[in-house]
Amino acid sequence: MLFLQLLANGLQVGAIYALTAAGFSLIFGSTKIFHFAHGATFAIAAYLFHFALAGLGLHWTFAVAVAALSAVVFGVLLDRLMYAPIQRHEGSFFTVFVASFGIGIVVQNLLGSVFGRGFMSVSTPLSNSIEVMPGLYLSPLNGLAVVVAIVCFVALHFFMTHTFIGKGLRALSENPELVRTFGLSPRRLSTYAFALGSLLVVPGAIFTAAGTGINPAVGHHVMLISLAATIVGGIGSLRGAACAGLLIGVAENLAMWKLGTQWSEAITFAILFFFIIFKPSGFFGRATVS
Amino acid sequence: MTDRTVQVENLVVGYGGRPVLTDISLHINSNEVLCLIGHNGAGKSTLLKAIFGLVPHEGGRILFNGKPAVTEPRAMTMAGMSMVPEGRGVFPGMTVEETMSLGMWAAGVPEKARPERIEWVMSILPMMKKFYRTRAGDLSGGQQQMVSIGRALLSRPRCLLMDEPSIGLAPKLFQDLCGPIRELQQKTGMSILLVEQNVKEALKISDRVVVMKSGRMTWEGQPSELSDNKKLMELY
Repeated sequence: MLFLQLLANGLQVGAIYALTAAGFSLIFGSTKIFHFAHGATFAIAAYLFHFALAGLGLHWTFAVAVAALSAVVFGVLLDRLMYAPIQRHEGSFFTVFVASFGIGIVVQNLLGSVFGRGFMSVSTPLSNSIEVMPGLYLSPLNGLAVVVAIVCFVALHFFMTHTFIGKGLRALSENPELVRTFGLSPRRLSTYAFALGSLLVVPGAIFTAAGTGINPAVGHHVMLISLAATIVGGIGSLRGAACAGLLIGVAENLAMWKLGTQWSEAITFAILFFFIIFKPSGFFGRATVS
Repeated sequence: MTDRTVQVENLVVGYGGRPVLTDISLHINSNEVLCLIGHNGAGKSTLLKAIFGLVPHEGGRILFNGKPAVTEPRAMTMAGMSMVPEGRGVFPGMTVEETMSLGMWAAGVPEKARPERIEWVMSILPMMKKFYRTRAGDLSGGQQQMVSIGRALLSRPRCLLMDEPSIGLAPKLFQDLCGPIRELQQKTGMSILLVEQNVKEALKISDRVVVMKSGRMTWEGQPSELSDNKKLMELY
């Protein structure tokens, strides 16, 4: 029964990782910006959801809207005010990474100063677990996280294949110079990538705030997982990021079954190293020769 | 005075302080194919990119339809210029259909006009119908070039810039592509600025020729004059 319990938990966590990793992969794939502060977006959305719901007493729909808006605004502002100037001055990949990493640290400390450094969670009727079988406890949140992730991925697939912005983002990920030749603005598309990529962390942020709980370092952890999932899934592949996120979430939980809780995070990086050594292009990435 | 679609005046372009184009002045008349020839590194492609706004210019100015142009690709596209880039101007992961729809969106073609615009391009390049739903990455070089040209025509440009369209194509295929383009150009009065290494074929469809060397214009005249100039023909 423990196996089933861990599997159920793993699917919920995996769904959250999948969405967050897809957001990071979308941004990195299209813009080639190493948006390390993607984890900070997750943390901001989670804290503002918590604040709107528990602090201000807003209806959950408004709290979701606050979280979504804050994530999109944060992502777009970072793109416009930090990454765009660095790119304009032809700053290196390393400059972008350090700037983004720095923002992540600043946000983590700001959240800690404003909301405290301890764990917080919002209790909702959906968070309460019920015993569905002897020894197997499930909350509606478990199932909801998976359903929401599936809906989000179907919607994302539709968006990327049927809308002009989606096609533009795919084009940008393949050849930014050709995008300019078409008469499109890579800068504007980059803003769309940040808006959409940031929006994708919101379900995960909400489910985490309402489930396992949040602390200011939550974004950092999620970012590392997203990064691993992006590499395991194949850089730039949304499908790959989704599958890898799910795989890591399930593996993290199942590791506790036989190996103990201290191995849950290490298993992520064991998977990552396995792929780096044996399949560096990831699940769906294409091997490139430089 | 002839109606000038593009006028380039004293254009200077440099990369990192190194001059690539020096004091270039030329014009393209409406209903004209102007061919730029020269060895590798002469600055032909850079001139095309500078006109379209893909590379900034340090000096001089560019007039499009008689007005100073905002040399930025989006603005030039909206103003009626289109470019077929060097190499394969397609996104390998996208189908031809997706490429075309993206091209129309980028060029601001109104939604209602889009089906008719696709039909129009298909009438010029009927071969495209066969692989319309295929991923561009799965097409041959010639088919990809056809898609690239078709995409550039979608906006019904007043001026078409073509950068080495024959690269990687069999001579026969290049001739097959040139025929309908020349026909279209004569029918619509469109101007074409063509950069081409295949001088023999390019001269057949050109009205005027400019020869470039080391970032400067060295000769300008009619294709027949160039054909008669043995010294130049030997060089190119």
